[in-house]
Amino acid sequence: MRLFEEIIGELGSFREAVQRGSTFRAYRAAPGSAWPQSERGSIVMKSETAVELGSPKDESVSFLVWTEDASLVKDGVISLIGPDLAESAVHSLPFGKAVILGVNGFTEENCYERHREIELLRFDVNLEGYMMRAVSQHMREWSRISTEALAKGFSLKIMGGVLIEMYRSLDYVHAAEILFITSSSEDVRKLRGLGERSNKIIGAMNKMAVELALDCSTCEYNEVCAQVAGLRSLRDSLAKEK
Amino acid sequence: MRNHEEGTTAIVAVCGKGGVGKTTISAAIARILLGKPGRVLAIDADPSVGLATALGFNVRKTVDDIREDLIRHLKSGNTGNREQVVARLDYEIFAALEEKGNLAFLAIGRPEGAGCYCQVNELLRDIITAVADNFDTIVIDGEAGIEQVNRRVMERVSHLLLVSDSSARGIAVAQSIAEVAGKSMQYERAGLLVNRLRGDEENYIRIPDDLPCLGWVPEDEEIRTYNLRGRSILDSPETPFFNSVRDCLCSLGILSEDVPSGKRIYKSTEIP
Repeated sequence: MRLFEEIIGELGSFREAVQRGSTFRAYRAAPGSAWPQSERGSIVMKSETAVELGSPKDESVSFLVWTEDASLVKDGVISLIGPDLAESAVHSLPFGKAVILGVNGFTEENCYERHREIELLRFDVNLEGYMMRAVSQHMREWSRISTEALAKGFSLKIMGGVLIEMYRSLDYVHAAEILFITSSSEDVRKLRGLGERSNKIIGAMNKMAVELALDCSTCEYNEVCAQVAGLRSLRDSLAKEK
Repeated sequence: MRNHEEGTTAIVAVCGKGGVGKTTISAAIARILLGKPGRVLAIDADPSVGLATALGFNVRKTVDDIREDLIRHLKSGNTGNREQVVARLDYEIFAALEEKGNLAFLAIGRPEGAGCYCQVNELLRDIITAVADNFDTIVIDGEAGIEQVNRRVMERVSHLLLVSDSSARGIAVAQSIAEVAGKSMQYERAGLLVNRLRGDEENYIRIPDDLPCLGWVPEDEEIRTYNLRGRSILDSPETPFFNSVRDCLCSLGILSEDVPSGKRIYKSTEIP
């Protein structure tokens, strides 16, 4: 299935363009990336917070795309444009995150459920001194890192490593790459443009999966289906079933 | 600091007749616990949202606003799956929390109504419960009267603080709440705090034998002025009023007796 390949290609060009004007580094996720676990739903209060990422007052975007084309994913690479947590001169940073997964075995029948599963995986990340809240529909992700966790060395490299390991633990994910942006609100807004396109594809995919009738003449996703071949084949396949 | 069982969240509900000073007492409890070890969550369950003013918080969003937004969103056909709805509510509730040091504040707004969106109400209750589990002490400024106890809003309350002024009606309402709560709640301790006492009024008040009296709180001009001017109690000077509330928290088991409370003006008369 080819749904996000164009966006993934543009993500590469975007990264190259943005990194020219900012601090850029690429980490490699260390095997066995680990950080002490906390209880699910743990919170970090403002008074305990060293750095806040993508708070409701700041720009924030987070999205996830996948492809079966292995050449499009730099497996294990965590790219960071902007300061890492310990380098931040300010308490609150804008935050952008794009996850690119290399997958296999995605079909018209299983792509909806699998996407849902990988999308929800980040809510299972419960790390000591790290709190995350996210709204998928708005692509917002807000996190707080405690002073204690920062002093112990928590970083975006560690966070990225833990996430990559988590995604790779799924049978159908063979590669994972993450891009973090903390450089500026403007850079995060630019990333949001790509995120919104992926969100429309996901919206169309979800609608096809849950709705009984597939009437393209009244569908708000008509335009996006016209652009993405994978969505048209998904629609045709589901139409035959229904 | 806490006398309450280690590792569990002490949930103190402040209830009573309207106008007896529940909000001021709730704010005083929050002030006493502010800056002490442990996280404190103050919940304003009174639709008039007076606790926010008393604590100097600016309410940007109430739980009711979040519920209404979601219901509007669902009605417009944007259903999403259950996990997405839960994550969205969790985010919104957390964004609605106001914070000062170890004190967080959440306003409920209008109480939930019965209807076809009971699932949203249930999700909200679950999320607030999960958020609340992160705190050591929760203070709930209850709605006036008995309704909230009847609606089982306060099922998980561990300590019930009934507040009354010196009026017979105030004490009668407190007793009614205690009776209903005794049947519907599994609290650890409950008791009455008589607020705004003037002169020798304590000699004329009749408190029913089955209503344990935790203490008396004197009318305090300083606090009264702060309330009149809509100023935060967190900024007021230390007065005998706070000592009395502190004593009451000791009697209730929320604070240990070894916490220095300064000169006690009014002593607890009975410990439940």
